[in-house]
Amino acid sequence: MSTDLSVPVFTNQSEEELGGKWGMVIDQDLCTGCQACVAACSMENNIPFVGETDAAYGRSIQWIRIERFWQGSFPEVKMTPYQPMMCQQCHNAPCEPVCPVFASVHSASEDINLQVYNRCVGTRYCANNCPYQVRVFNWRDYADARVRPELVTLQNQLNPDVTVRRRGVMEKCTFCIQRIRHTEDVAKSEGREIRDGEVVPACAQACPADAIIFGRIDDPNSRVSQAGLASRGYHQLEELNLLPRVTYLKGESNNGSNG
Amino acid sequence: MIKKFFDALNQPLGRVGLLIAALVVLSGAVWGIAQAQKPPEQPIQFPHKLHVGLGIQCLYCHPGALRGPSPGLPTESKCWGCHQQLQRFADPTTPWPTELQKLRDYVQQGKPIQWIPVAQVPDFVHFVHRPHIAAGLNCETCHGDVSKMTVYENPQVINMGWCLNCHRAKTEDNSQNNPTNDPAVSAMLAEKRTKLTDCSTCHY
Repeated sequence: MSTDLSVPVFTNQSEEELGGKWGMVIDQDLCTGCQACVAACSMENNIPFVGETDAAYGRSIQWIRIERFWQGSFPEVKMTPYQPMMCQQCHNAPCEPVCPVFASVHSASEDINLQVYNRCVGTRYCANNCPYQVRVFNWRDYADARVRPELVTLQNQLNPDVTVRRRGVMEKCTFCIQRIRHTEDVAKSEGREIRDGEVVPACAQACPADAIIFGRIDDPNSRVSQAGLASRGYHQLEELNLLPRVTYLKGESNNGSNG
Repeated sequence: MIKKFFDALNQPLGRVGLLIAALVVLSGAVWGIAQAQKPPEQPIQFPHKLHVGLGIQCLYCHPGALRGPSPGLPTESKCWGCHQQLQRFADPTTPWPTELQKLRDYVQQGKPIQWIPVAQVPDFVHFVHRPHIAAGLNCETCHGDVSKMTVYENPQVINMGWCLNCHRAKTEDNSQNNPTNDPAVSAMLAEKRTKLTDCSTCHY
């Protein structure tokens, strides 16, 4: 098989032309910062608890985190709305070209960024190049009971549909691809297309405020496409032109400007 | 010291020693590889040959293959469902074959049979049987002719190249997959190919 080694040519395509497949809308005006999505994500995706020591080194593993910022100077400090932050599944992903072993690759069929754990050799270039700081690294064999005997009781909690990552592997939000695959499989066995709202990632499922909407952004009638059209919508670090697939909604009433 | 060691190796006896050491390492490697290729020891030497010969469907004992990722390995009660009805063994004076005695012991003690899965994929591969069966593949396409096996052995090395070879062959735009050279079929094959060669199809 021949491999195309030509240098990609920059084409001035608009975001609409590039389409995308799966997308997410996060309504910051609805988010209460309750961390239910963080917990649900950890449970669904076999994300380990790293323990106090490693967390103190800044090595805690979360695929989604709730960011909060302050605006203004003391004493007129005002908190900006909570901002759940996960992999934005950029179309022009900065993490991909820097990977020397193609572990961070773009899925041609799903148009999301993949992390192929068995290819990853742990250079951490991708995490350094990610402007959203959403990639996390396994500094230890956190799921191995021989390394962390106190976690032996959590072995039965692991999700069999998700790889248990080894030491030295980078990981990040996958848009719950295991749920996409499962739903596809179910839909196909019933001889139909996936219905809008049938694929629900763990974070969206857990969100009590229904602030996270997931679905097909190439379908203009889907709930996520409609929600993304709102005038409150913006993308994180839009100026980088990474074409992220996560749209954030933040109202003017809720402390204004982007970011 | 090191110079002395190399001088000693240069002697005829030293060379023979070196040869023996090399042979030991080589045979160790060969033994190790042979060990890794051996099928694991099963709790019961289950004769697939006999059961398939009797016309029992694969899906009777491995029904999960039709519905989901794992086909499942039969429990002792599933085996017993048939075996307790065999008249030949109903008479207590008839001696039982050794392997069936093991099964009877499992049932009487209420212990599960700890089958050792042989056709395994690593944790980072998510293989689902259902779409493969839905695509019209037969069990023997991947698992070989089980009717000639006693204890199951993989007929080939199960690795990614082997998976991809089939995924590519099934989606190639050739006279076999697209006999009428229909552009609609070509487009469908191209879409399928993208999907079937995508990392995220199996690795997540």
